Amino acid sequence: MLASLLMIGTLAHQTRGQEVVEEKENFPAEQIEFFETKIRPLLVEKCYHCHSTDAPELRGELYADSRLGLITGGDSGAAISPGQPDDSLLIDSINYRSMEMPPNGKLDPEQIAALTHWVEIGAPWPRVTSAPGAQSTSEKTDWTSFDWDSARQSHWAWKPVKRPSLPSPVLDPSLSPIDQFVTARRTAASLPSNSPASPAILARRIYNDLVGISPTPAQVDAFVLSAAADYPRAVAILVDDLLATPQYGQRWARHWLDVARFSDGRGGFMDNKPLDQAWRYRDWVVDSFNQDLPINEFMRLQITGDLSKENDHAIATGFFALGPTYQSDGGDPDSVAQARGETLDDRVDTLTRGLMGITGSCARCHDHKFDPIPQIDYYSLAGIFNNTTVHDHPLASAEIVIRFNQHKQQVDSLNQKINPLKNKLRQEKREATLDEQESLDQWIANLEALLADQPLGYETTHALRDTGTADMKIAIRGNLRKTGDVAPRRFPRLISTGNTGTYQNGSGRIELANAIVHADNPLTTRVFVNRIWMHHFGAGLVRTPSNFGTMGEKPSHPQLLDWLASEFVADGWSLKSLHRKIMNSQTYQLSSANNPEAFHRDGDNRWLWRMSPRRMDVESFRDSLLAVTGELDVQSGGPSLPDTTRNNRRTLYAKVSRNGDVFDSDRFLRRFDFPLMRATVAQRPNSIVPQQFLFLLNSDFMMARAKSLAQRLNATGKSDAEKIHQVYRWLYSREPNPEEIEIGLQFVNNSQNTDQLSNWDRYAQVLLSANEFMYVR
Amino acid sequence: MFHRNPIPSLTRRDALRKMGAGFGTMGLAGVLAQSHLLGSQLPEINPNTSPLAPKPPHFAPKAKHVIQLFMPGGPSQVDTFDYKPDIAKHAGERPDCVDRKSLRNTKMGLMPSPYSFKQYGKCGKHVSEIFPHTAQCVDDICFIHSMHTDIPEHAGAMMMMNAGHLQPSRPSMGSWMVYGLGTENQDLPGFIAMSPRAQPRNKLANWSNAFLPGAYTGTYVNIHDMKPERILDDLKNKWLPKVDQRKQADLLARLNQLDLHRQQGDQQLEASIQAMEMAFRMQFAVPDAFDTSRETKSTLEMYGNSEYAKGCLLARRLIERGVRTVQLSLSIDGYDIAWDTGHGNIVDGHRKLAAACDQGIAALIQDLKQRGLFDETLIIWGGEFGRAPTSEGQKGRDHDHYGFTTWMAGGGVKGGISYGATDEFGLTAVEDRVHVHDLHATILHLMGLDHERLTYRYSGRDYRLTDVSGTVISDIIA
Repeated sequence: MLASLLMIGTLAHQTRGQEVVEEKENFPAEQIEFFETKIRPLLVEKCYHCHSTDAPELRGELYADSRLGLITGGDSGAAISPGQPDDSLLIDSINYRSMEMPPNGKLDPEQIAALTHWVEIGAPWPRVTSAPGAQSTSEKTDWTSFDWDSARQSHWAWKPVKRPSLPSPVLDPSLSPIDQFVTARRTAASLPSNSPASPAILARRIYNDLVGISPTPAQVDAFVLSAAADYPRAVAILVDDLLATPQYGQRWARHWLDVARFSDGRGGFMDNKPLDQAWRYRDWVVDSFNQDLPINEFMRLQITGDLSKENDHAIATGFFALGPTYQSDGGDPDSVAQARGETLDDRVDTLTRGLMGITGSCARCHDHKFDPIPQIDYYSLAGIFNNTTVHDHPLASAEIVIRFNQHKQQVDSLNQKINPLKNKLRQEKREATLDEQESLDQWIANLEALLADQPLGYETTHALRDTGTADMKIAIRGNLRKTGDVAPRRFPRLISTGNTGTYQNGSGRIELANAIVHADNPLTTRVFVNRIWMHHFGAGLVRTPSNFGTMGEKPSHPQLLDWLASEFVADGWSLKSLHRKIMNSQTYQLSSANNPEAFHRDGDNRWLWRMSPRRMDVESFRDSLLAVTGELDVQSGGPSLPDTTRNNRRTLYAKVSRNGDVFDSDRFLRRFDFPLMRATVAQRPNSIVPQQFLFLLNSDFMMARAKSLAQRLNATGKSDAEKIHQVYRWLYSREPNPEEIEIGLQFVNNSQNTDQLSNWDRYAQVLLSANEFMYVR
Repeated sequence: MFHRNPIPSLTRRDALRKMGAGFGTMGLAGVLAQSHLLGSQLPEINPNTSPLAPKPPHFAPKAKHVIQLFMPGGPSQVDTFDYKPDIAKHAGERPDCVDRKSLRNTKMGLMPSPYSFKQYGKCGKHVSEIFPHTAQCVDDICFIHSMHTDIPEHAGAMMMMNAGHLQPSRPSMGSWMVYGLGTENQDLPGFIAMSPRAQPRNKLANWSNAFLPGAYTGTYVNIHDMKPERILDDLKNKWLPKVDQRKQADLLARLNQLDLHRQQGDQQLEASIQAMEMAFRMQFAVPDAFDTSRETKSTLEMYGNSEYAKGCLLARRLIERGVRTVQLSLSIDGYDIAWDTGHGNIVDGHRKLAAACDQGIAALIQDLKQRGLFDETLIIWGGEFGRAPTSEGQKGRDHDHYGFTTWMAGGGVKGGISYGATDEFGLTAVEDRVHVHDLHATILHLMGLDHERLTYRYSGRDYRLTDVSGTVISDIIA
């Protein structure tokens, strides 16, 4: 433990407690202590700056941050020969004999004596761990002899998904498998469970969850009625009904768009291109979800869509093509390399975290510090994308494209003849000669004929395209201008997918897609079902949804996670089936009521004793505001809209810039925790800041909603008290209690109408701004 | 304590951790007392749910506030504070040490500074004629002449200076500070970024929270346009007088209290009630902080009339009110990398830029000293890189990331000293080199934060402002 603690000080990637596993070279504890107190600090202070994996610039190819590094040595040969200080270059150098190290001042005599003694006793060095799943950089791993099979057994997420048997003893055989797994863990934690949610609350939960819009009173009433007859059946029917509406895809696409760090571009100075066709990818995701496109196919198309026979499938590669694609400023080679390195990093990061929950990017500059992902494996993946480029892919047949381009060329070439001649005549202030006039007449006639026969134009989408088949080389410390070994294109060796060979087919994306959705890939399905669970419950079974590595959290219900993953595959990767399984469970239907005793013991609700109450995300919140005032425009699809506080379309259609700083819609969304679409988003933050309330209290948007709501209320022609009843049903799906009616009446009766706002406008604004509206229980 | 999850779940554990953090209950108590609508049997409110509540530093800080006077575009060191008389002696030559591999256009010979330098103060510091006011403060300033950064390209180098990374994907320095320390005045944002006219290149990324929770983002104010409603979005209620707004806010608080009661306490709901009250008070506190009309005549005269000087005065008003960090970027003529006019014309360009900020900067130092705020406020002046002593044409200088000057004053740094040095012609930092990461480590240190412990877990690793490097420059700490 001491070893790992001391080492942490030198690393940015800090480690949590790791088990110390002894290695072959087993040094006595007092020798290790000597190393840790006298030697390591010395090495860190005097040598690491030039001789370590974290060195700003590695000198002499020597790594002094591991025993192996010192034994292997650098340009000048082995630095130490354990047990033989006289034969150790390190000792020689610190005595300023053959070399003078450290160069900026000789060590103290005691320090020299300590290092000499250390080599003499065999250069003891602690092995932090030999478990491949928790590798630490200070020990350089020899990947050529690395035992990948045991690595894959060393951490839960690397192991194959195994369909678990149901927990025994079975408490209640009528429970669904999900409920059995959850009940087993909850019982083991001696936690009580809440009772089922009341039908009205459950209806509001299901609508918000599946379609992202609060239900109307009629919808709630219908559900309450059918639930009174048969609660489980009522849920099943409502879930089926909502899954069949177009609003379902509009809601759930947004969850995936977070993973895809989807934006309409304009990412600032080095990545400022507007991506005006990005909406096609957004609509493709919506349609895919509405059609229940199997998720393996969904993922495959996002990697290889442009290579499919269906031309439109290229849209799906927006998953990568809409990410930041950096240009360099000034064009000097360092900046160019930096820009390319960052662009590739976006692709690798989105692929590895987004689809597989591994933090592949951590291996960009050095071997992954905690997971068995060697740096070379990063460049094996980066190499695939290095053979691609982003372009505007025509959404039309080849003939149309060719014809259009030929026509355009012809028009251009005629214009290039006509215009210079006309200019010349104008400049020389003379009439055309006979010959010139003849040519001009001919060209103009041809041009007019061409323009009269304008061929069909075509639209484009932002897509990937292959450009080559080359492998990359390792970039030393992430600098593409300092390269090392060739990194053959292939899958990270940690993840078993049957195909361990190198990729030969074009850029390698087809093989890559096969590996991502391969039956043996232990991560893709686990990561995906966990994301879905997270959106239904507010937290994943693994609470680090994009990091299933050793530094991520462990699953609270590992068996349930594997059961869901195997069911998901058995159901043909059907997302809608997965929703049904989850939402038809009793666990999903539990009340969210607080139980102080249970809260005291499990405030984070890890053991699912209740449904966690949740604040709406910005999309649900805005869409529901527009819905309760009767203004929501549910029109589907089309180009993104920059004025989201002034239109009534669903929030999904807001135009978003990569840095959240270009459009009016950005300003609105960012205030309510819409994340920056710079990198794949695992889970949105949920911050409560005053700026949100400035919006609720003072914005034109809220004022307009309040007026609409008041107008809608007045149109009912009811009494004041009846109107309060009505508005509570619209907004909160419940009846007000007498105290609330009294408060409401007092407010409207004691408030004066002003020129611009009626007392009901002001009351409506408060009700729309209240927590109860924004929370789903 | 800085191992926080990206999602502040505000559960019991968080609540316990935040206990005693000291966020004032006054505001809410105020609402309750003023509200005649409120019943008496309301649940206890836990006040410590604000993500911006002051947090204890890692160790005793030297400074409590930071004012960063950011000079985007790259001011030339040898024409401002890094006096290099040898350039004139070798004018037009290209000695070996300036003949460094650089793909920027620095291929011509050495170009002497068009400005004269004089010595100032007890320390005898040489300062260029274009900074006559700042020159009067040299005994309070610590010049770092050995700064260097990674690339000679504006956008990336600005990100390095303001967020510790070349790409605009990391939290800004100000966001890190508010994340680490919270802020002292809950009626004002904890981190305010300002500039006249143009926002510095990369805009929001210079004050972005990136992956830190949204509460830590910088609030940008364009000081060219100071109408209260422009300072923050929706700051002003266009429809109601304050008394009616108060009634509305009271009703909202009341309904939220009832909901909280019904839900048997919920940290999120409590936080939400607090935030609403804060928003209410911000409507009045923010315009007040930005209203300089009641400053004395002598104060206003000391600062002078430039837009940047107005920013300097606002910076003082903000830190005086407890704002943790202010970033004030220079811009003239609507240019987002103001000092880049150095390419074509150092002579006029730099003179004009210096004139736009010099008096305001000196006034800020004087004003803070007069008010006893100088010692607790760290002032940082500098750009993202410097300019080469060689010429790229007749009168201009191209980018130089090998060496440049940043200066600091106040909060815990030694005054009247010059740290580190460039070579004899000012191109490359050669003595006591200070990378931007080292500068950041030092700034955090002065604020009582250990740059290696101020971490945030995101995307599978613990991020820091200083990435994997950074050494505190202990020699400049008073």
